[in-house]
Amino acid sequence: MTAQAALADRDGTRTAELVLSKWFVVSPYGVGNDPFADGVLSGRSAISGVDRSQFDVPYELVGLVPDFSAAKYLGNKGTRLMDRLTALAVTAAGGLVDQCREDLVADPERAALVLGTGWASVQSIMDTTRDSLTGDKPYHVDPAKFPNTVMNKAAGQSAIWHTIKGPNTTISGDWLTALLTLSYAARLVRGGHCDRALCGVAEEYSAQRAWLEWHAGRAGGDGMSALGEGSAFFLLESAADAERSGRTPLVRLLATRFTAFGAHGDAGAALRDCVRAALRQAGVGPEQVRVVAPASAGAAPVENDVLTEEFGASAPEWIRSRHLIGDASAASAGFQIAAVLAAAGRRPLGRDEAAVVTTIGRDGMTGCLVLGGCGGSS
Amino acid sequence: MDDARRKVVITGLGIVSSIGIGAKEFSEGLRSGRSGVKPITSFETEGYAHANGCEITDFTAGDWVVGTDPSTMGRTSQFAAAAARMAVGDAGLPFDELRGRRCLVSVGTTDGESRDLDQLAVDQLRDGPEHLDELLARRSPASRLATSIVRELALTDVEPVTIPTACAAGNYAIGHGIDAIRAGDADVVLAGGVDALCRKTYAGFYRLGAMAPEVCQPFDRHRKGILVGEGAGILLMESLESALARGARIYAEVLGYGLNCDALSPVHPDQNTLARCMELALHNAGVKPEDIDFISAHGTGTRANDMTEVGAIRQAFAGTPPPTVSIKSMLGHAMGAASALGAAACALAITEGFIPPTINHRETDPECDVDCVPNEVRYAEVNVVQNNSLAFGGNNAVTVLGRCEAGG
Repeated sequence: MTAQAALADRDGTRTAELVLSKWFVVSPYGVGNDPFADGVLSGRSAISGVDRSQFDVPYELVGLVPDFSAAKYLGNKGTRLMDRLTALAVTAAGGLVDQCREDLVADPERAALVLGTGWASVQSIMDTTRDSLTGDKPYHVDPAKFPNTVMNKAAGQSAIWHTIKGPNTTISGDWLTALLTLSYAARLVRGGHCDRALCGVAEEYSAQRAWLEWHAGRAGGDGMSALGEGSAFFLLESAADAERSGRTPLVRLLATRFTAFGAHGDAGAALRDCVRAALRQAGVGPEQVRVVAPASAGAAPVENDVLTEEFGASAPEWIRSRHLIGDASAASAGFQIAAVLAAAGRRPLGRDEAAVVTTIGRDGMTGCLVLGGCGGSS
Repeated sequence: MDDARRKVVITGLGIVSSIGIGAKEFSEGLRSGRSGVKPITSFETEGYAHANGCEITDFTAGDWVVGTDPSTMGRTSQFAAAAARMAVGDAGLPFDELRGRRCLVSVGTTDGESRDLDQLAVDQLRDGPEHLDELLARRSPASRLATSIVRELALTDVEPVTIPTACAAGNYAIGHGIDAIRAGDADVVLAGGVDALCRKTYAGFYRLGAMAPEVCQPFDRHRKGILVGEGAGILLMESLESALARGARIYAEVLGYGLNCDALSPVHPDQNTLARCMELALHNAGVKPEDIDFISAHGTGTRANDMTEVGAIRQAFAGTPPPTVSIKSMLGHAMGAASALGAAACALAITEGFIPPTINHRETDPECDVDCVPNEVRYAEVNVVQNNSLAFGGNNAVTVLGRCEAGG
């Protein structure tokens, strides 16, 4: 390829319209999109009592993927040492792979896998440290499990399991993680590093994560006292590539924006700035926003006030999922996006309609994602 | 200017390393072949037959972290915040001007706030999980590495992302910055990598038999493995247009990068995929193999890495490959910071005209026969440099830096 052709190629990619064309979730409703869509849209809770014989935790309630194990969904081969986080990610990625397999087989190097997570498997990490402290020698740790303590294990293992040879990246950003993951993946596609990205988030339920969240005062502090878990994956590609492969685009990725408010700042003002900047960047007016999916997390009243002020209380369709599935930490915004796709599955967003996904993180950050419809004018 | 592709340049370096804090000290360390090796004091090492590492013993957080209370951060975040503040100062970009720009903070890491997680594991064993320290729990997520920089610099219009893609993470983070500037999504990028020595990773690599007893000797017939290191390398990147408009000193242009994944083994590197990653990076950078003046190798000093990496270099570079050096001989393996410190070293090499040496070198292994610039710095004009990194998970990342022809 000549330098000019390469530039033209890149420029073409860069200005292309990016869409989400397929999705797959493993959630406290179970494995697959239908139970999730039915549950969230009907407002049925997936939270249950904690089984203390399984998890020694200070919480009463949990949003657990029911009856989930690596062996059940991935088979016995190669899963004996797999931790729960990796199993959830590999399973959810697999659900997406099933919907775009031909493209992956044809050119595995042109597909990226981008996975957002929190502490990764903090259970695997701290178990290994404990073994180092309690063994006869400090190096008496399990060498076969040591790779589980590396934070990109779930992303790398997903690529190995499904033979995805393009960029393989792990992203971490608290409740904003899914938005940061899409933002990163969009730049990978626009930068010409891949044609499509399997873009996901994953979080496991473990006693160790529960204790850390408990002591950080982050999960229980807002009255929302169940941690959730699961994994959500989205296929991000150009509209043209999706159509070439016979996939109907679900929504257009129009903008991601992030605004900080710092330790003593005003979360509400930051979120307002963030939402307005995102809409400006998306070229969308507030009256076009038909679906609003807030985090409804720690700063929920503030988030609610800002979004009501921007979009009105009644006109848009408000979709809240957190009270139904628990706080899925780094995966939580992934479930917010999935909830928007579930709603759009029932009643597609028109070309002139948009959905907004927001979050106020626990660490001084706000984020906003704007998705545009792909249908005709409504 | 060519709007189809904005040029991305490095105008500031923030360095916390075992051979020097700050760009000037770091550069002197590289040129003099300084060794960061010393007995580890970060954690109890009783029970290990050997415990050398490249620890940073002269870092006082309060000397560098001034916008926030360092006690609200773990050691890794302190390194990150310090290096970021240093990078902005080094770039000569006034802080209030920085705050008026749209920023991306992109920080790679292997272990995140590993020192806090180590401590939490110690406390939990002693007191039970119901008595963990609230502050430690709150500051332990890896995402704090990026947000600590945001707080330290009081940024507002900013996207803070932590990229925990293990030992290639620094290059991943820099690559993200390149794309953000090229796309016009960010005016200023603070990108790099950071890690702190930790008990867990030492135990794991030691158990795998990857730990060298005394020194790290990449490409040497007698090499015995890695030494763990720590530190931070944060680059301030902006468009060439922006750098010229404010009359900034330009270290180097970041020409491009490539990423791919072996998708074969969680731990063993693959020569073919790594060779392909180098081709992707050179293509993205718009340069040819013969343009590369030297390679800053991943060069961990394990038998497997060095053989695989040199094999891949020979595959991607027909004929004699360019000089291939490993600064891990001096710094140890600073994990997620390693390739960011590598990129910083490349930028300094271009600016100051030298190829850093591979120290501790006695006899080149015929099985990884490269000109590793043994023991003594080589002064030479350096125009284009390739910076390699590999990680567990089969993750490869290569960046390419070049002299900025538009001056500076």
